[in-house]
Amino acid sequence: MTKAYINGTGCISPQNSIDSEWFFDTIHPAKGDYFDAIEPSYKEFIAPNLLRRMGRAIKMGVAAGNIAIQQADAKKVDAIITGTGLGCFEDSERFLLALLNNEEQFLTPTSFIQSTHNTVGSQIALLMKCHDYNFTYVHRGFSFESAIQDALMLFEEGKETILVGGIEEHTPNFVILNRRARKFQEVSSTTPIWESTTPGIQMSEGTACFILNKTKTDKSLASVDGIQTLYKPKTSADILNKLHSFLKLHNLTLADIDVTLMGFSGDVNFDSKLQELLPSIEKESIAACYKNVCGEYHTASAFAMWTATKIIEKQKLPQVLAISDKTPSKIKHVLIFNQYLGINYSFTLLSQC
Amino acid sequence: MDALIEKLKGQIIEQLNLAEVKPEEINPDSPLFGEGLGLDSIDALELIVLLEKHYGIKIQDPKDGKTIFQSLRTMAEYIKSQGKS
Repeated sequence: MTKAYINGTGCISPQNSIDSEWFFDTIHPAKGDYFDAIEPSYKEFIAPNLLRRMGRAIKMGVAAGNIAIQQADAKKVDAIITGTGLGCFEDSERFLLALLNNEEQFLTPTSFIQSTHNTVGSQIALLMKCHDYNFTYVHRGFSFESAIQDALMLFEEGKETILVGGIEEHTPNFVILNRRARKFQEVSSTTPIWESTTPGIQMSEGTACFILNKTKTDKSLASVDGIQTLYKPKTSADILNKLHSFLKLHNLTLADIDVTLMGFSGDVNFDSKLQELLPSIEKESIAACYKNVCGEYHTASAFAMWTATKIIEKQKLPQVLAISDKTPSKIKHVLIFNQYLGINYSFTLLSQC
Repeated sequence: MDALIEKLKGQIIEQLNLAEVKPEEINPDSPLFGEGLGLDSIDALELIVLLEKHYGIKIQDPKDGKTIFQSLRTMAEYIKSQGKS
């Protein structure tokens, strides 16, 4: 599969990632057992007459997409591909509540139109006047990875510039229901996320968009060399074997990976295989995490890709992400080793270009 | 009529999520679509639902919408004419 070059990024997360200068210097803690995204003033990115109809996922997606486009100085894109686990949850909730409250009468079109999963991609397309390929992947913990895979395949078919994004939002009701289901846990100030012995995650939300190019330009920040997904691997040994095979495809070994960003979520039930693999990773590479600052959501791997791009660009691993005591002397290759609910595992390889 | 116009202003702002617009900024005689509030076809559907939900008025012929939704005042006059205010 062909590689792609990251020419622009835009990220809205529970941290100040909207600020292009921010690099994990100030960290906003979770609100007890969940994170809220720090949202910008959307008026800078979206016209008021459009803004009034948009839910938060759409606003976050359009704004992050806009920032990525500006950074890449992309005049046009040949495709828009988004990934989302839950889609436009706020508008779905609004539409369903109206359905219930009004006894299935007086249904208004706006929240229904805006509730579909592909609304973010379509809004970006409308604003960019992009009538080309537009696709949204709703593959739970593989949603963003599927979007990247599709982009890499489209480059093989001749596309030159593609916008790829991972988008997720939560709502107060979503938080309440998950809390009742005891899926959350309070952040522990003493136990690192990779050493958690308790169940529960810090549910979160966020959006990261990327302008990918088939060819390297002077705007290129890093390259996406490859991606692989693993569905319900049985053992940690299976995962390690697949990881070695994945790296071999790129003529690399684990020792060549300067930083491995691991998707520890803080839930011992989901992290057990990563905990088993951590010594093997640390033996040859430098292990780091990211969900301690962005929380857990279906497309947290998009935040990880934004983080990996920044790490390569700055040639520095932020202390708040470090698991290993070692400091990388140079950062050429960064591996994202994500997992979601112990079901969806993925490897994404980024390199300096 | 003035009281109905004021009530409609609030309902339109809420229904169409016009958070940036204040009731006093809406001229009851300005066009609702294109100029004035700058509403569009999706808003037209929202206004049809608003009439049905709050005033029990069903617009039978869609062609009538053009006259009814010309301005806030024409909307209020239509509601009055239906004896629903």
